[in-house]
Amino acid sequence: MPVLEARNLTYVFPDGTVALSDVSLKIGDGEFVILAGANGSGKTVFVRHLNGLLLPAQGGVTFDGVPITRNLAEVRRQIGLIFQDADSQIVGQTVAEDVAFGPENLHWSRDEVERAVERALAAVDLSGLSDQNPHTLSGGQKRRLAVAGVLAMNPRVLVFDEPFTGLDYRGVVQVLEQLVRLREAGQTVVLVTHELEKVLAHADRLVVFDRGKLVEDGEPADVIGRVETYGVRRPLKNGGEMGSLTWLR
Amino acid sequence: MTVSCALFTALIIIGGYISIPVGPVPLVLADFFVMLTGLFLGARYGAVCLTMYLALGAIGLPVFAGGKAGLAVFWGPTGGFLFGYLLAVVAVGFIMGRNKGSLGKGSLVRLLAALVAGNVLLYLCGVPWLKAVTYLSWPAALGAGLVPFLPGAMIKIAAAFALGRALLPRFRPLGDERCLS
Amino acid sequence: MAQVIFLRYIPGDTLLHRMDGRLKLLCLLLLSVAAGLASEWQHYLALLGVAVSALAAAKLPVWALLRDWRFFAVMAALILVANAFFIPGDPVPFFPFAAVSRQGLVAGLRFAGRLLLAVMICSVVMGTTPLARLRDALEWCLRPVPLVPAARVAMMMNLTFVFVSVIMDNYVEMVCAQKSRCVESCKNPLKRIKYLVLPLLTQTMMRTDEIVYALEARCYSEVRTPASFGTCRADWLVAGVCLGVLAFVILW
Repeated sequence: MPVLEARNLTYVFPDGTVALSDVSLKIGDGEFVILAGANGSGKTVFVRHLNGLLLPAQGGVTFDGVPITRNLAEVRRQIGLIFQDADSQIVGQTVAEDVAFGPENLHWSRDEVERAVERALAAVDLSGLSDQNPHTLSGGQKRRLAVAGVLAMNPRVLVFDEPFTGLDYRGVVQVLEQLVRLREAGQTVVLVTHELEKVLAHADRLVVFDRGKLVEDGEPADVIGRVETYGVRRPLKNGGEMGSLTWLR
Repeated sequence: MTVSCALFTALIIIGGYISIPVGPVPLVLADFFVMLTGLFLGARYGAVCLTMYLALGAIGLPVFAGGKAGLAVFWGPTGGFLFGYLLAVVAVGFIMGRNKGSLGKGSLVRLLAALVAGNVLLYLCGVPWLKAVTYLSWPAALGAGLVPFLPGAMIKIAAAFALGRALLPRFRPLGDERCLS
Repeated sequence: MAQVIFLRYIPGDTLLHRMDGRLKLLCLLLLSVAAGLASEWQHYLALLGVAVSALAAAKLPVWALLRDWRFFAVMAALILVANAFFIPGDPVPFFPFAAVSRQGLVAGLRFAGRLLLAVMICSVVMGTTPLARLRDALEWCLRPVPLVPAARVAMMMNLTFVFVSVIMDNYVEMVCAQKSRCVESCKNPLKRIKYLVLPLLTQTMMRTDEIVYALEARCYSEVRTPASFGTCRADWLVAGVCLGVLAFVILW
């Protein structure tokens, strides 16, 4: 049974623009799915439906077979969303405080919160910086802090929205290493990006959005030949190897 | 509303640091944002914003114009203007009332009246305070606390008027319909 | 740039740095009131003693603080001069300016002294307390107050800090961009305000929407794990000293 299932999602902006039309997608336990598409193809709007930040005009999302609207708070704990702009996600005055924000919202006891923070910071390799001001971190560190803030709540699914935007080479590598580690730990990961060459080698599935519709869904090797039709750069010319599509060495 | 309040408080703080060099006295935007707060958030939430602003300053955060802070500023010659902010925001919000949406001719007059009343209250509070604290004579107090700022105040009223007219009909208090309200 | 504003906190590990935030706020309050009430020379001496020993105990860089205090020193001097000249009274013997009165000079000195003491005390508290601790302390003080949603106020304060950093960075970038397009040759102040404020407002409002989503994605709620506090005996001792000073100022 899929962990997350979106059925016939349709979403219309207040001004009448159709952002999503009839999108259905199943995500299985432990899968690593990449959602690709050009700017404005509806990727971000789609992932915001997964934890109920946006509610569809038609259709619905189920988590473990239960509609997410039944218990939104629990669903948001289980589905961690990491935003494109790490700055807008950071609320704490120190790194540790920022990571504690989620667990504190869940009203865990002080001990539990502290344990969760320690564990999450260790998982993203930021333990040494827990007293720093988040705004002084580098781009890659900020992104990892955002991941820690989500990991602290023990989610089952992690959703990354354009995690590579604005990062330098080292930052991208840091985030990729984090992704690989999560994947090895059996975490379900959904990743939104249009930069396939940085990450596709690690994915199980490639899903392509175009103008609010889901147009491709399948094995990366099958789908990759057709992505240019939808405004996504095709990273591999004929004869290249799928395994080379990563910035990790 | 939580988020909107925080946003406008932050804008007022930043307004204290932003100055536009025109004429002999640079324009500081703190009171401008105070007026906008009254316009956009109304009397009640405007007062919440300003109370928080003053409280943050009182415990020593450098939030007042030019990075000043602390209870000392309240004791000081410019303290009256700080309380004046609070009065001004309430006055602006109160006069504007709750009629959001399209602005007819009547409400444009009201908008202008609100902004002028806010400024009058601000200086009514600030100048006598200045006089009382420094034992200046009336002409001297007016010369130090009112006259140099008058042109700037006019410009800011005009700017706030234009902005209010352009943005008020479109403004939707942020996060209102969500769980943060 | 954004850091400059709130970087009054100077990390350290002294008695005052470790002190409980709530008691520190209480001390700030007590000493501020004491400074406001001080009128005799021994009051000023006592308060000055407390302020100086606090500065020493906190191991704050005095020279850096002096730069902050410059503005207040100018203000205090202005008040002193204004008072000395404008309050009528007896002339001061051996003083070159006939217009200066003794009463005026005394009143001015009192006022300037209060101002400077309050500034010093504030600097010590801000220099030794991180923002988050101050916020938690304020929240704790608000908790028993009826009709005030303490958790919401604390969140509001936190968001304000976040916004200040974000908007300030945004603002600096915008000003640079506009300067490179020669905004300075535009002399119309109305236009200048428009170019500055309109983009700033629209951008921050868009940013705000993002932040609201981000908070919700992390299960924002007002029922949160309360902040933990711990006081030790030294904290109470410091608070006791402050209370003593206030009592001294009131009684003598």
